Amino acid sequence: MAKAAPVELRPEMTFAEAAQRTVAVRARELWEHSEGVLDTGDIERVHDMRVATRRLRAVLEIFAPCFPRKEHKAALREVKRLADALGARRDPDVQLEALAGRDGVGAFVDRVLDEQRAGNDALAGALRHAEGLRERLDRLVAA
Amino acid sequence: MKARKVKGLDCGAPLGDNAERIVAVRLGELCSFAPRVLDPAEVEGLHDMRIAAKRLRYVLEVTESCFGPYAREARKRVKELQDLLGEIHDCDVLVPKVLRVRAELEPGHPDRPGLRALAADRAARRATLFADFLDLWQQLGRDGFRARLESAIRERPGAGTTVGTAS
Repeated sequence: MAKAAPVELRPEMTFAEAAQRTVAVRARELWEHSEGVLDTGDIERVHDMRVATRRLRAVLEIFAPCFPRKEHKAALREVKRLADALGARRDPDVQLEALAGRDGVGAFVDRVLDEQRAGNDALAGALRHAEGLRERLDRLVAA
Repeated sequence: MKARKVKGLDCGAPLGDNAERIVAVRLGELCSFAPRVLDPAEVEGLHDMRIAAKRLRYVLEVTESCFGPYAREARKRVKELQDLLGEIHDCDVLVPKVLRVRAELEPGHPDRPGLRALAADRAARRATLFADFLDLWQQLGRDGFRARLESAIRERPGAGTTVGTAS
């Protein structure tokens, strides 16, 4: 699992300043992990991006009072949507990994492979809409 | 599971003071699941506790350097807890799903025995993980996890020191 990028914070800095710095770093981290996530041959990429969405979602929730309510709510909703799409791919990835090399479970593997394909399609769709999220997050940290 | 609201946050106030309020609420949230989750049949409670652990872990990940040294240790322990609860959840999802697929197969289908064995194997794994979870939870209690973290979040490292968040 990818480690969180460090954020330079001091206990005495204002909550608002910490919010801007932290969300900017976590947003950048998300895009850094978006490379190659549709490749089902390397399931760690989806996992890393999913963890990055969780971290971004967490800091958006932690620092919620520091951002304009409407913009923040919209950004959070879009991050959740992306996280759901990543989850739809990741869950079958994990199940298939657990089944590797096991005999007599082909009917189940076929079912999970179908779910993985559907999850990948959902993720591809979510990634097409992610550019709007990137712009929204940029506006949020610049506000 | 909806997160408990944190009252009194102030954007113009120091990060450390706001973070203390958030961690205190998230810690209380996590601990509120005991003793309910000591029952292995509490699937929903265990799932909600995993989410509470995740929330506490991520807030510590960002803010632990605002606090005393035990905050970092606490974050690592919460991650252990979250990982175990995550694996338990994976089994709780997988076992009924395998049994559903098996039930859909014709009686003589060659995969039926394999799927029954898979479900039994995952159920056994779940029992082991739950025992590990109980051990860890009891260990945290013996170590004074809650009291030590409550104490750590009231400490502040030297003002003016630049610190990085956990990685």
